[in-house]
Amino acid sequence: MNEQKQTRFSYRTIKNFQRTLLLLPGVLLYGIFNFTPLMMMVPTSLLDWPGIGPKEFVGLDNFKKILGNEYYRDQLLNALSQNVLFFIVIIGTFLVIGTSLALLLSFKTYGRKYYQIIYFLPYPMAGAAVAYLLNLFVNPRGPLNAIMMQFGLIDSPIPFLGSEDTALTTLALFYSWHRMGFAIMLILSGILAVRIDLLEASMLDGANRWQSIKNVVFPVLGPAFILITVIIMVDVFNNADYTLLIMGAEAGPFRSTDIMGTFLYRSAFGASAASSDANFGMSAAIGLITTIMILPAALFLALKNFRNK
Amino acid sequence: MDKIFKLSKKEQVIVQFIMIAWAIVVLVPFLSAVLNALKPNVGAVFRDPFGLPDPVTWGNFAKAWVNANFGRYFANSAFIALTSVAIVTFASSTTAFVLARMPFKGSTIIFIGFMIGVIVPIRLALAPLFDTVRALGLLDTLWSVILVQAASMMPVAVFILVSFFQNISKEIEEAAIMDGAMPFTVYWKIMLPLIRPALATIALLTFVQAWNEYFLPLIFIQSEELYPLTLGLNQFNRQFSIQWHMMFAAILIMMAPTIIAFILASKQFISGLTQGGVKE
Repeated sequence: MNEQKQTRFSYRTIKNFQRTLLLLPGVLLYGIFNFTPLMMMVPTSLLDWPGIGPKEFVGLDNFKKILGNEYYRDQLLNALSQNVLFFIVIIGTFLVIGTSLALLLSFKTYGRKYYQIIYFLPYPMAGAAVAYLLNLFVNPRGPLNAIMMQFGLIDSPIPFLGSEDTALTTLALFYSWHRMGFAIMLILSGILAVRIDLLEASMLDGANRWQSIKNVVFPVLGPAFILITVIIMVDVFNNADYTLLIMGAEAGPFRSTDIMGTFLYRSAFGASAASSDANFGMSAAIGLITTIMILPAALFLALKNFRNK
Repeated sequence: MDKIFKLSKKEQVIVQFIMIAWAIVVLVPFLSAVLNALKPNVGAVFRDPFGLPDPVTWGNFAKAWVNANFGRYFANSAFIALTSVAIVTFASSTTAFVLARMPFKGSTIIFIGFMIGVIVPIRLALAPLFDTVRALGLLDTLWSVILVQAASMMPVAVFILVSFFQNISKEIEEAAIMDGAMPFTVYWKIMLPLIRPALATIALLTFVQAWNEYFLPLIFIQSEELYPLTLGLNQFNRQFSIQWHMMFAAILIMMAPTIIAFILASKQFISGLTQGGVKE
């Protein structure tokens, strides 16, 4: 068949034609369902449009409203500050617990292969399953409260997710429980990449174990810490699955678990089917504002991947 | 050297103590799910969450599977995940092949286009994305989830594959081209067998991602018969939130394939998912 074609077209023509055919499926798929929507955020953010019906061009009104109108600004500031708190709890647990466990795993410990597998176990699980599992687990009538009562640690059950004071932190700890294995593995590979001759030199200089770890291992872990921080930052500022699953779009109790992802969702679809304050233009504007906030972190990550090649 | 990583007896005990403590933190929620999913009624769950089930009731799983439609949800999830894997492995390998092995004038621009998808998460473009899917008439079909999911995996897959392609030597390929082989033949006969390890990683990443996805079905799918497991579990929680033994059974049904696959291939899971997480 190839030969038949070659009589009619030059090798070069066929080569270019086949190259285009190979390139197209991926480019079209990505172009239509990912790239175009991302680009369309800009024009959409200039509209007042409930999602169906006529679109009204309003210029920068959506941005003015978000930053100026009290109703929207308060929601934005609330979601943003709670998102930052959410992020700090997660990154704090990752750096403290993750580093400690990775360090212990790097020692010649019995059964460390099995510990690695166990620690990583929650990570591949679906967020939905993890959210409901832990939701039941920390429920006032659930296993965690039961066992704490039995040991006399508390007098009455703690409503971890029912109280405004603890709900957000509890959701952040769900996240940490789910993803800790990822942090441990990244830090562990950082530790294992430490150059052995440097460690030997520090031992020869008479440094003890802790001094060697502090002076040789920790400085090298900097890049791993930055990488984890950036990845988690990009993720928690757009992904609000735990809040949506457990609390719904209203992000109760009293919006105390509202983060950027739920705020964005509400702005596009309203909190319930009945509400009418949905505005696709507003939603796109919030999306753009969030994009600008995570851009430094995301750019850093992208450039790092680029340089690795 | 050994002095740093080797532990004395006393230290070993302390380290083991800490390791077991975290293993308990990880495993106890799973174990409590198993214990309570086997209990006959919710009273037994409340009375003693850590008590052994008596009698052991396997029926909860059957009830969730049949009465609550989990069989259906399971099939939908499997279809979404497998189709996404097929699309992503095919489309990313052909695109990456061209970008890495036969670059042309516009290939850098295309590469930068893919990079934007890594920088800005697609969820932020919620409104235009919904509009695009609706304009194409895909709303409330499984294809909406499959195509958006596959498209969102493309940048990561292309990056992994391009760097993999660049490490393959040019010699075999050049010899084939001298013999008059066309791009199709080079891709299919020479490249595809060589990139299998990378494709396996991408297939695993895509499958786990698509199987676990909650947000995309949430915004695109309305009809209950099209729900994947994640939405099904959400729906189940609304109906049976008080029937804890049933909830635990449903959660375990959702997790079972992942747990089995993870135990069978824990090494590939750990390295593949860690790699994928970093690229994102």
